[in-house]
Amino acid sequence: MTYTFKIRDQIYKITLEKEDGQLQVEIEGRSIPVDFEKIEDDLYSVLIDGKSVSIGVFRKGKKVQVFIEGELYELEAVSEREQRKTSHIVSGIQEIKSPMPSRVVKILKGEGDEVAPDEGLIVVEAMKMESELKSPIAGKVKNVMVKEGDAVESGAVLLVVSSE
Amino acid sequence: MFKKVLIANRGEIAVRIIRACRDMGISTVAVYSDADRRSLHVALADEAYHIGGSTPGESYLNKEKIIGAAKKSGAEAIHPGFGFLSENESFADMCEKSGIVFIGPSPEAIRLMGDKITARKIAHDVKVPLVPGSDGAVSDVEASVIAAEIGYPVMIKASAGGGGKGMRLVRGKDDFESSLRMARSEARSAFGDDSVFVERFIERPRHIEIQIIADSEGNTLYLFERECSIQRRHQKVIEEAPSSAISSRTRKKMGEVAVRIAKAVKYKGAGTIEFIMDQSQDFYFLEMNTRVQVEHPVTEMITGFDIVKWMIRIAAGEKLPFKQKNIVMKGHALECRVYAENPETNFLPSPGVIEYLRTPSGPGIRNDSSIYNGCEITSYYDPMLSKLIVWADSREAAIRKMESALREYIVLGVKTNIGFLIRVMNNDEFRKGKIDTGFIERHPELLKPPVLQIEPALIAAALSMSSAESAGQPAQKPASNWKLFGRRSGVSRSPLA
Repeated sequence: MTYTFKIRDQIYKITLEKEDGQLQVEIEGRSIPVDFEKIEDDLYSVLIDGKSVSIGVFRKGKKVQVFIEGELYELEAVSEREQRKTSHIVSGIQEIKSPMPSRVVKILKGEGDEVAPDEGLIVVEAMKMESELKSPIAGKVKNVMVKEGDAVESGAVLLVVSSE
Repeated sequence: MFKKVLIANRGEIAVRIIRACRDMGISTVAVYSDADRRSLHVALADEAYHIGGSTPGESYLNKEKIIGAAKKSGAEAIHPGFGFLSENESFADMCEKSGIVFIGPSPEAIRLMGDKITARKIAHDVKVPLVPGSDGAVSDVEASVIAAEIGYPVMIKASAGGGGKGMRLVRGKDDFESSLRMARSEARSAFGDDSVFVERFIERPRHIEIQIIADSEGNTLYLFERECSIQRRHQKVIEEAPSSAISSRTRKKMGEVAVRIAKAVKYKGAGTIEFIMDQSQDFYFLEMNTRVQVEHPVTEMITGFDIVKWMIRIAAGEKLPFKQKNIVMKGHALECRVYAENPETNFLPSPGVIEYLRTPSGPGIRNDSSIYNGCEITSYYDPMLSKLIVWADSREAAIRKMESALREYIVLGVKTNIGFLIRVMNNDEFRKGKIDTGFIERHPELLKPPVLQIEPALIAAALSMSSAESAGQPAQKPASNWKLFGRRSGVSRSPLA
C-alpha cells in the first residue's frame, strides 16, 4: 500500500508491504528495514534499521500528528486523485524549494532541459536520507540556482521550472 | 493545624497544594471556573465549588465568590498559589476580616513589596544594593535627565509592572523619547497605571533569587538561591539550584541581604527576593515576590524542605524548628517549564486537546502537572503543561537526566517546547553554565530542529493509516488459557472439570 503525505509543504511517498509477517518499507524509492509494535492506540515502538524510537501518533481524518523526540510533526495524507488534480492545475512558473536544511547531492536536469510532470530534477540529502525533488509540471528548466555539494537552507529556491 | 483549606487557584499549583494538604491530613476545597470543571484540581480535591465564568476576572480573581466558597465549605484558610490573587493586598485583607487565614504574608507586607518603588526604598534603607536609577516614578523630563546621568544603556520599567510588560531597553539618547512613550502606554493598558522609573541596564545579567521562609515570630531563614537566567519574553523557562555562577561567599551574602529585606517588612511565610547579577558577581535587588514561586521545587529538591507545607504550618501558627545552620543543600536540581507553545513562531501559545500523553519517570524525576489524556488546554489561562524537575548529584548529571527525561515525554494534540528544551540541554554554553537572560535571543538556532525526522514520521503516519484500514477486522488476540479453562468449565457444567 502506498501513502502520500505532505510535511511542511513537501510531498513524500511511502510504501508499506507485509511479507511473511515482515514489514517492508520504501520511502521515495529507498527501502528501509523497519520493525514495529503497536503499544497503545497512539503509541508505536519502531525499530528503524535497528534504531529504537517511541513514536506517538494521532490521526484525525487526513491529518496525522506524529511526536518524535520532543518534536511534533503535522502530516496530511494526500490521495492520488488530489495529487493528479493539483498537477493538472499547476502551471506557469514553479520554484523548486528545499524542504529542509540539506545538501545538494546531484542535479538531474540542467537549464533548458525539457521535463515531464513527476520527473526528477534534483537530489538533496538531509539527515542521511536522500530525496529526489520532482517537477510538478511539464515544461522546461528555466534556472538552476545551486550546484552540487551546496549546503542550502530550508525554503531555498533550487531550480525554477516554467511551463512556457 | 487547619482541618480544611481552600485553594484559590487552578492548574498544577492547585494540584501541588492539594497534595501537600492531603499529606498533612487536611481536607481540601477547590474552586473552579466554567472552563475548569474537568480539571484535575477539581477531581483531586475533597470538595469543589463553581465560582464563575472562564475568564480569570469572572472566577479566579473574584474575591467575593472565593471567600463565599470558603465560608460555605467551612475552610479555615485559603492558599492563593501564585498569580491570580496571590499578591493582592485587598484579598489578603478581606480574608483576615472574614476570619479566614490567608496563607501568606500580611496585607501590609504585600502592599509594601507590591509597589516596586516602595520596595526599592525599603531595600535601600536596609543597605541592600540597588541598580543605579531614579528613586521613584519620574516625569518625562526627569527621566531623560536621570538616563543621561547613569549612562546608557538604560531600562525603563513600569512601577506596577511584572512579566516584562511596560519594560523598554534604550541603547542611546535618540531612542529614549519614543521608548518612554511606549513603556507608559503599555503600563497604562496592562496595569492601569503609567508611572515608570529608569535604571541602568546590566549587560549579560543573570537572574538569581533567594528563597526565604519566615515564621510569625520573625525567625527568618534563607533556602539558598535559584538561577532563572533562561527566559523567553522576560518569562522564566528553565530554573536551577544552586547557581553555577556564585561562590559560597556570595551565596551567604545574598542570603543575609534577603533576610534583611524580609525582616524589614516583618515578612511571614515563603517569599522570594529577586536579584540581578553581573558577570563579576555584583548583585542588585530587583523585587520581592510575596508568594510561592513557580520554580520552588528546585529549592525543595536540594534542601529537602517542603516549602508549601511550611507555608501552611506557619499560617497555622507553627514555629520554624530549625536554624540557618541546619539548612544544607545537596546536589543540583533543574526545572523545565513545558508549555503548549510553538518556539518556531516566537513561542505563540498552542491551545488544544491533549490527545495522548506519556510522562517521564524514574529516580530523581518529578513532574508537577495537572494535565492528562483528553484534557483541554484553553486559551483562558497560562499554557504551562507541566514543570519537569530533576535532581542529581552534580549540575552535569542533572542536565543529562533532564535531557533523558524530556526525551521520554510524548504529547500529542498541541505543540510543545519539549524539542527546544532538549536542544538547550545539549547546548555547549548552557552546559558550561555560561548563561544570562539574553541566552535564548542569542541562540535563535535552538528554536527549530536542526534535522527533521521525516523518515520516522512518515513510517509512523503510514502505520497509523494502515492500522485504521485493517480496523474493520480487529486483530483478535488468542484467548488466554484461563479464559479457555473458564469456557470449558462453563460448558461442562461440572464442578470438578
